[in-house]
Amino acid sequence: MTGYTPRYVGSVTKYVFVDSPDMTPSDLAIRAYELSQGVMIKETCFGLMITGKVEDVNLIIEQIRALDPIHIFVKDRGFPPGDARRCRANLGGARPGFFGHEFEISLIKNISSGLARLRDRPPGKEPLPPAPGTGKKLDAARLKKIIESKES
Amino acid sequence: MVKVFIYPTTSLILSDLVARFGHTPLSAAIEIRERIQTPGLESPPLQITPEEPKVGLRWAAVEVPSGVRGRMSLYGPMVDQAEAAIIVNDADFSFGCMGCARTNELIKYLLHKKGIPILDLNYPRTEDEGEEFVAAIRKFLEGLGGSP
Amino acid sequence: MSKVRIAQLSCGPEYSGVQKEIEEAAASVDAEIFFPDIKLADIRSSFQEFGLDVRSPDLKLAIARAKALVEGRVDADAVFIATCFRCAEAAIVRNELRRYIHEHSRLPVVSYSFTERTTSGTLLTRMEALTTIARRRALLAREVQEGLTLGVDSGSSTTKAVVMQDNRIVGTGWLPTTGVLQSAEDAIALALKEAGVKREDIMATGTTGYGRFLVGEKIGAQLIQEELTVNSKGAVYLADTQHGPATVIDIGGMDNKAISVQDGIPGTFTMGGICAGASGRFLEMTAKRLGVDITELGPLAMKGLSRKVPMNSYCIVFGTQSLVNALAAGSTPEDVAAAACHSVAEQVFEQQLQEVDIREPVLMVGGTSLIQGLVKAMGDLLQTEIVVPHHSQYIGAVGTALLSSGFIKGE
Repeated sequence: MTGYTPRYVGSVTKYVFVDSPDMTPSDLAIRAYELSQGVMIKETCFGLMITGKVEDVNLIIEQIRALDPIHIFVKDRGFPPGDARRCRANLGGARPGFFGHEFEISLIKNISSGLARLRDRPPGKEPLPPAPGTGKKLDAARLKKIIESKES
Repeated sequence: MVKVFIYPTTSLILSDLVARFGHTPLSAAIEIRERIQTPGLESPPLQITPEEPKVGLRWAAVEVPSGVRGRMSLYGPMVDQAEAAIIVNDADFSFGCMGCARTNELIKYLLHKKGIPILDLNYPRTEDEGEEFVAAIRKFLEGLGGSP
Repeated sequence: MSKVRIAQLSCGPEYSGVQKEIEEAAASVDAEIFFPDIKLADIRSSFQEFGLDVRSPDLKLAIARAKALVEGRVDADAVFIATCFRCAEAAIVRNELRRYIHEHSRLPVVSYSFTERTTSGTLLTRMEALTTIARRRALLAREVQEGLTLGVDSGSSTTKAVVMQDNRIVGTGWLPTTGVLQSAEDAIALALKEAGVKREDIMATGTTGYGRFLVGEKIGAQLIQEELTVNSKGAVYLADTQHGPATVIDIGGMDNKAISVQDGIPGTFTMGGICAGASGRFLEMTAKRLGVDITELGPLAMKGLSRKVPMNSYCIVFGTQSLVNALAAGSTPEDVAAAACHSVAEQVFEQQLQEVDIREPVLMVGGTSLIQGLVKAMGDLLQTEIVVPHHSQYIGAVGTALLSSGFIKGE
């Protein structure tokens, strides 16, 4: 086996996704470049990737989030930007994680809306979702009645 | 700040909300980053070497497929660290790190067995559900204490 | 020559630490692995249309990618399907995708279940066969041997050489493999002598088997080819079933091959080589224990009944122990020989033949096809009359002699 020498040791990379009526990924990129101060910024189709020392990256993200808090979402990335091991051009197709993003982005407007509505609600008045899997099943006696009514 | 296991571990939504409400999300990316930034033997794409399925033996026996054990070498330490967990149960299209149903079943079981606070949810399909979803997560995270 | 593009459909190799091995095996035969590009919407619709309701997302992705290949939305030259060994869910998907691609496209497919111990060396022959089928369809279409050609099969147990002239076998040589090069030289000398021709008269040469690279380089072969395509070709040529479907089974000294063939070209195939109990070695040991020559084991087994001997294990150690115990308890050598044949046939049947579609005629080739008891046991399991073509023990040498005649006119 070949030895492996990592690049960007000690750095962190974070994804910044934007799904906003008021801001495109390139708007976001322009603002991020203004704030960057030596941190690496890469524009993507969904937003940005920011790479650098953890405190620098966190500082920029804090400032960027403030631009449009309910439409900007952030998560960590394991790889630095442009890494050949994750690159679509090298793999022939999207890396598996891309589909997960594609899926979540398709419903992120619901999250943005949730954040907006909660901001406007008084504390203690929030609705809560039903726990998954608690939907009641049809009672057997009721089913029997339905069958009997169809038979007659 | 409480360390919160997020399921799916690759989730943008969960990672963002946990951090937004002042806690630390435990996500797959952090474990992958550690491997990508550690020198050793070359094993692209994720720098998971054939040694990792052996590390995974701590969580799954040798008759369990290597892919499950290799994944558990990522997730086992995360489960160990977890102080709370948020689980989205209908994450049917999370690929790669969450691509194996058997591993996912084991992760959920280990989290429940640990006895930590767990919030079970489904993805919101509408804006109303989005509001309920975010509210539930915020309430759960606030209830964890710490000093967000 | 452009690279052969092999589409990978998989679950688990990146997390087992073996993705690099897959890519290295492909690169060593000048091929490249890629992942068919599809969209999330395609994954959902293709997965639902396919109708196999699995839970693992990566298997859903594999299903959707397979559909994209079959429907021509993504171009590929060959397909490699790989999932974790011992995963039942993945095994079902692997088998169904292999069958689906085989039935609905011309893409050659190989499926493999890996562990963290899988190396590129293990995968090499499979990748080589995939690229050969993709790259050399014209060569593999050859049905008639022309001119004077020599084929050498340098196997792990034996070395075989065949001289062919004008579509006939005119000389053969067969020797146990001791030194790879020396055994090849000696087998060639035997074949040339029987054919009554000189080395310099040979117009083209081909090699196959484990020692193919070493021997091929030494004797300046025009064709150096893995045994999967060569044996398929040799088998249908000798059995005169070059058109339509066939299944080729070769139980070898170190590994077994099961190949589903269409018009002489492998469609799907498996190679297994982990267990000595499913190999010719087990039968060699049984013959030795019974005090008979390996050539006598087959006729002996034909007279016995395997079910009279309880076998507790397929293992070459513990299975042999069962046979020894049976002899001590009064079983006849005939029954013991039959039980040994049944044991090997059953293990190959259970562990390998499930990975290919058995389509008649079923051809058994290689040295073990001369052990009638083994052929009968396999026929009983498959419920078919198995065909053993003439010269079946020379299958690789015949296949490569046939194919190498394509190089006489510089094809």
